[in-house]
Formats: sequence, structure tokens, C-alpha cells
Amino acid sequence: MFRDSPRSRLVLAVLVVAAVALLVLDSRPGPDPVTSAGRAAGEYVFTPAAAGVGWAAGPAVSLYDGLRQAPHAAERIAELEAANAELQARLQATANDGERADQLAELLHLSGLGGYEIVPAQAVTRVTARGLAHTVTLDVGTDSGVRPDMTVVNGHGLVGRVVEAGASTSTVVLATDVASAVGARLEDTRKIGVVRGGTVPGGPDAELTLELFDMEAPVEAGDRVVTLGSHEGAPFVPGVPIGTVEEVQSAPGALSRLARLAPAVDFSALDLVGVVVAGPAEDPRDSVLPPRPEPEGDR
Amino acid sequence: MRSAATLVIVAVAVLVQATAVNRVQFDWGPGPDLVVAALVAVALTATPAAAAGAGFAAGLAMDLLPPAEHPVGRYALVLCVAAYLVALLRANTGSPGAVGSPPSAWTGIGTTAAVSLGVGLGYAAVGLVMGDPRVSLGATTAAVGVGTLLTTLVSPLVTVPLLWVRNAFTESEFATIQGPTGLGGW
Repeated sequence: MFRDSPRSRLVLAVLVVAAVALLVLDSRPGPDPVTSAGRAAGEYVFTPAAAGVGWAAGPAVSLYDGLRQAPHAAERIAELEAANAELQARLQATANDGERADQLAELLHLSGLGGYEIVPAQAVTRVTARGLAHTVTLDVGTDSGVRPDMTVVNGHGLVGRVVEAGASTSTVVLATDVASAVGARLEDTRKIGVVRGGTVPGGPDAELTLELFDMEAPVEAGDRVVTLGSHEGAPFVPGVPIGTVEEVQSAPGALSRLARLAPAVDFSALDLVGVVVAGPAEDPRDSVLPPRPEPEGDR
Repeated sequence: MRSAATLVIVAVAVLVQATAVNRVQFDWGPGPDLVVAALVAVALTATPAAAAGAGFAAGLAMDLLPPAEHPVGRYALVLCVAAYLVALLRANTGSPGAVGSPPSAWTGIGTTAAVSLGVGLGYAAVGLVMGDPRVSLGATTAAVGVGTLLTTLVSPLVTVPLLWVRNAFTESEFATIQGPTGLGGW
């Protein structure tokens, strides 16, 4: 059935014998001149052809690779995003830690100046009950020795006073609260007055308003105001900076002089504060005040 | 003219296979064998001797081009025999007349599948005889199966167009006679 011409069979036989001969030659251990030459020729053809194909197929290959790795790429992107978020959070935490360390150092510096004993605390929440009262909650309480009517300061000055103290939390009414009134004294002239939160009736629009009892007292913008101090240091210890006079209001017929104060503390960025649990052995007077900045300061 | 076309077909198939297809990494192992697909088209339209020569040349080229890791002659032997058998069967059973009706597309695809399977098994058998440690039942079955499937899948894109090309050259050269006694150019 499978008829074929003898010549055709001869061709087949020759080719098969040649193939087998090549097989045997190449399978023998050691290099063989015939097959080595053949391979060299093959490489000679292959190298430029492969380079050309590689050059021409580069975009297609990259496209294919992109498609092939697309499912993995999505996973990889999610993985990298997670890692990125984690690293960013860590970076932020580091910055946060640095800032808190700075604040703590300032607080320690302040308490050291005044000789106060201070419990450091974190302002956890800024509770404004129904949006009216300016209060914050601290993460320290009676377990740490905090009692109501204790002074709360931070590295820059007066924050407020403790009104409620639980076992591990306490509530602080800020000095800017409208119900807050702090006995105050002008640093230079020793004139006394009251610093009230918010705006007093007839006074300028301010966060803190100083009400001086002496109508004749000389007061100018730039004067610094410290706490007067109360009996036994409650609710306010003496000598804590409250703020700086920004503007003096001359209201004819008023019973007192009113001045707008710039708070020493940035109440919008309260973080680390200290509760003064024990005052100094003697009145520190104004020693808590930072030194006056030089007119031609280094900053 | 026709032999030149055949030469170009085989050379291009070998080069594309060696430089393009073998370069792509498939997750499942072997890729399609364009050389087998092209060789089937040649063998279906050539005399047995010519087919054997084409198969030998293509196989030898694949043996020599760098990705090859096997002894020279292994693929040449298998492809030579396979192409010869295809052409012999075609010449003795397929063509009713002296000129012969051109093989249909389905013939090309089916032959490609059969030849791909046979070449895979034959290649493994030669390796077995020569003591190739890579030849094992599981690996061979998987590779041959996947390779046959892929080669069959690409055969409509390779074998069938090449059959058309070969037939076009046949018509332009009337003297080409297919059959057991035909020794026309390939």
C-alpha cells in the first residue's frame, strides 16, 4: 500500500543514517568537530536573529508580561500601599513623639523654674459640652494625685483648672471659658486684676480679657500678665504666665480698664499639659516667666 | 520557485520558533511547535523524499540553534521520519489524481495534531534510547499533551495558510506532480 520509489527510500535512508550518525557523534563524550562547527554556525545565525526579534518584540513582550502579571500586580500594589501607609504612620508617630518630647521638656523647664511638682497629662478630648464650655479631659485622675481646683499648665503658661477629677480622668476648664476668672497681676507694675475668658460685656472681642481694677494703672500693649495666686495655691498657683496685653481699651465711664490678652498658651493645639499637684515651698513670684525676648533677638 | 518558497517557509518557521516562541515563558511548560505546523504543510504537498529532506533540515536547524540542549540529530531524525511518513501516506491515500486535489484545511489541522503527538512521542523515545534522564512518564505525558494541544491550536494560523501558499505555487508551476513516482522539486 505504501508504495514508494527506491530513490525516495534511498533519500530517507541516507537522511536517517545521517541523523543517527550525528546523534552518535554528538553523544560521545568530548567535543566533536562536526557538531561543534554546526552549533557555532547555528549560534552565528541565532544571535543576530534573536537580537532583532528582541528589539522588534520588546513592546509586545512587555505588554504580555504586564498582562500576565496583572493579577499579581494588583496584589503587589495593595501590599505596597499597606507598607506605605504603615511607614507614613510610623513617620508621623515619630514626628508626634518628637513634638511631645519638646512639650514635655518645656513643661519640665517651666515647673523647674517655679519649683512646682507637676503630673504630666495628655489632653485626651476637647469636650465642649453642647459647644458652650471650653473644657478638656485629661488622662490623669485622683490615682495620680489630681484633685479638683488644681492648676493646669503647659510649657507656655496657664491652661486652666481642674473642676472634676475621676479615678483616671479629670476635666479641666480652660482659661478661655467664659465662666473662668483668674486672678492676675501685671508683671511689671504688680497691678492686679482678673483675667476672664472670652469677651466681657463692653470689652473688646478677645479670647482672654484682662480687667484691671485700678483705672489709673499704666498698662500698654506688650505687658505680660501672670497669675496672682490664690490661697494655698488653689485653684491657681501664682506666677504662671497667662498672656500678653495686645490692646488696651479706654472706655469712658467704665469702672475698670479692659485689655485684650493674647494667651500664652495655644489653646487650639493643646496636647501635653501638667497638673500642679504641689506648689513650691515659697512663692516663686515671677520666676516662671521666661526671660523677656531681646529686642534684637536671635530669632 | 517552489523549492525557494519551501526553504523560506522552513527557515522562517525555525527562526520564529527559536527566537520568538521559545523566548516566551509559558506557565504550563512547552509552547506551540511552529516547526511541526509548518513542516506538515510542506509534507502534505511534497514528495516523500522532499518532505524527508525538509524535515531533516528543519530538525537539524532546531538541533543547532542555541536553545537546544540535546545531541545534534535527535530532532532531525524525528522530524525527517515524521515528514516522510506524512508525505508517503498523503501520496498513497490522499490524492486521487496525478495532480491531486489540494489538501483541505481540516486535513492540515488533523495531520498537525497527529504529527505533533507522534513527534513528541518519537522525540521522547529517542531520548529514552539514548538514556536522557529527563524522559519520564509523567513529564513526557504532560509535555507531549500540552505541546500537541497548543500546536493544534496554532495550526489554523500556520499550517492552513502555508497550505494555501504551497498550492498557489503548485498551480503556477503546472509540472509539479504528486504521487509515489513524482520526484519534482520541493
